[in-house]
Amino acid sequence: MNAETSLAAARAALPPRVARPGARRVLEEKIVIRDLSFYYRDFAALKRIGLALYDKQVTAFIGPSGCGKSTLLRTMNRIYDLYPGQRATGEILLDGENILDPRQDLNLLRAKVGMVFQKPTPFPMSIFDNIAFGIRLYERLGTGELADRVEEALRRAALWDEVKDKLRQSGLSLSGGQQQRLCIARAIAVKPEVLLLDEPASALDPISTQRIEELIAELKSDYCIAIVTHNMQQAARSSDFTAFMYLGELVEFDETEAIFTKPREKRTEDYITGRFG
Amino acid sequence: MTAAILPALRKPRLGRFGDPAFRALTSAFALLVLVILGGIVAALARGALPALAKFGLPFLASAAWNPVKENFGAAAPIYGTLVTSAIAMLVAIPLAFGIALFITELCPAWLKRPLGTMIELLAAIPSIIYGIWGLFVFAPFLQAHLEPAIIASLGALPGIGALFAGPPLGIGLLTAGLILAIMVLPFITAVMRDVFATVPAILRESAYGIGATTFEVVWRVVLPYTRTGVLGGIMLGLGRALGETMAVTFVIGNAHRIQASLLQPGTTISAALANEFTEAVGDIYTSSLIALGLILFIITAIVLALAKLMLIRLEARAGA
Repeated sequence: MNAETSLAAARAALPPRVARPGARRVLEEKIVIRDLSFYYRDFAALKRIGLALYDKQVTAFIGPSGCGKSTLLRTMNRIYDLYPGQRATGEILLDGENILDPRQDLNLLRAKVGMVFQKPTPFPMSIFDNIAFGIRLYERLGTGELADRVEEALRRAALWDEVKDKLRQSGLSLSGGQQQRLCIARAIAVKPEVLLLDEPASALDPISTQRIEELIAELKSDYCIAIVTHNMQQAARSSDFTAFMYLGELVEFDETEAIFTKPREKRTEDYITGRFG
Repeated sequence: MTAAILPALRKPRLGRFGDPAFRALTSAFALLVLVILGGIVAALARGALPALAKFGLPFLASAAWNPVKENFGAAAPIYGTLVTSAIAMLVAIPLAFGIALFITELCPAWLKRPLGTMIELLAAIPSIIYGIWGLFVFAPFLQAHLEPAIIASLGALPGIGALFAGPPLGIGLLTAGLILAIMVLPFITAVMRDVFATVPAILRESAYGIGATTFEVVWRVVLPYTRTGVLGGIMLGLGRALGETMAVTFVIGNAHRIQASLLQPGTTISAALANEFTEAVGDIYTSSLIALGLILFIITAIVLALAKLMLIRLEARAGA
């Protein structure tokens, strides 16, 4: 049985509601979301979402403000669990295991699913410690080994050359774009499998934004990346798949090229051509 | 062009002198505070002068307190003030930290407000009530239960055993310190709770987002972020502990002595003032008490100035 038929078999075994556009390529499903609804108390912010995120691919989530795209991202590492009154129903399978299971170890989940937020959030500590903080949570490393891991993470985030001489300085001393790359370095330092980027460039200038996009293209080879963005060009440039959401529903999910050239839904077309949003 | 009224055409309702007069009035009110403060300092200094002239700097170091021979020194009350405040801080800071953390990080939403209100109500209890409760309930309880246990266990240790020596009297430095701890607890808790709430949700989420536990988030992110504010709250509590009079006077024993044991009676500056002013005969006795007041004023002013400074630094950073 070759890979393609096994994929087809696996697909047939699942209920049809999960959107899976990757038919023309053999892709590994990293996260499968099934029948996911999300509630802020009684308000349904997500309504029966179903889609698959592929490993080593970038999936962009677009849609007008309040459409639920950030909420969707926040379910994938269960950060919403910090707040009472927020709950999700349905399934989110990470490598086949349902992370919405109440027995799920949240700390381990968040080590596997890293997140970067709209605004840079360096911790109130040195640049070195910002990276080392996460590593130390999971591993007992010697000084040299720890330094290597910090350097590796900073190199991966394309920040090493700019900060290698001032690792002891506060993370807050960096510029906004550098701080955001520091946060990305911090997220990848703990060796996650999935990266969730919640409008990572929305607070940055165009040059810093470009650097972040280059970085996303680089990181794609190792991670399953989900990015929420308000910037249509950014979605078109940096993603392989795009999901368009509207009022808590998944309207359309396809390869990015298809979404931006020949969307099937009228609402998608209206949004990407700027007719509303 | 009906809506646009040129400023020059708009007539001030109070006439040309309205604003200057208002400014003069409010400035006068503000100046009044400075005048009162300056007046108090001047009166304290003038009243303290005879004693300070007679005893000089050794007044600060002498533990003597002999009204008959008119020989006075401030060391014992200063010592008592500092020791009771230190005990209060030692007990109140960890408690307040725990309570504030529980309220901001862990508490279920429905409990948040009642719990916060109850803590604040602790601050609303008049200090005389603390004094009465301390003398008639708390001190006998300590005497019967806690102090014998402390003397038997800690008192037997070499070194720190001296701190817990002697008979269990119930009243003394330790009791005063514990009462003070309860009294300053609401102030420190309230400030800590407020500064913990200034931590941006997104920063907290980032820390949880890489898999940190609540303790790790609090210890490594929330506390460093709010460091100066927390220190400011502690200083505010310390300022209150240093000056608290009534409750301490009830339970400290009022003895002008410096002893190693925390279980023995002592005195504080404010307790000495409250007790002795009515019976102070002779200029030097009265003047010595006023000098004590001046010292307390200076200590408290320094503590509060430090607290303000730290809170200003926190605000400056939050605005950046």
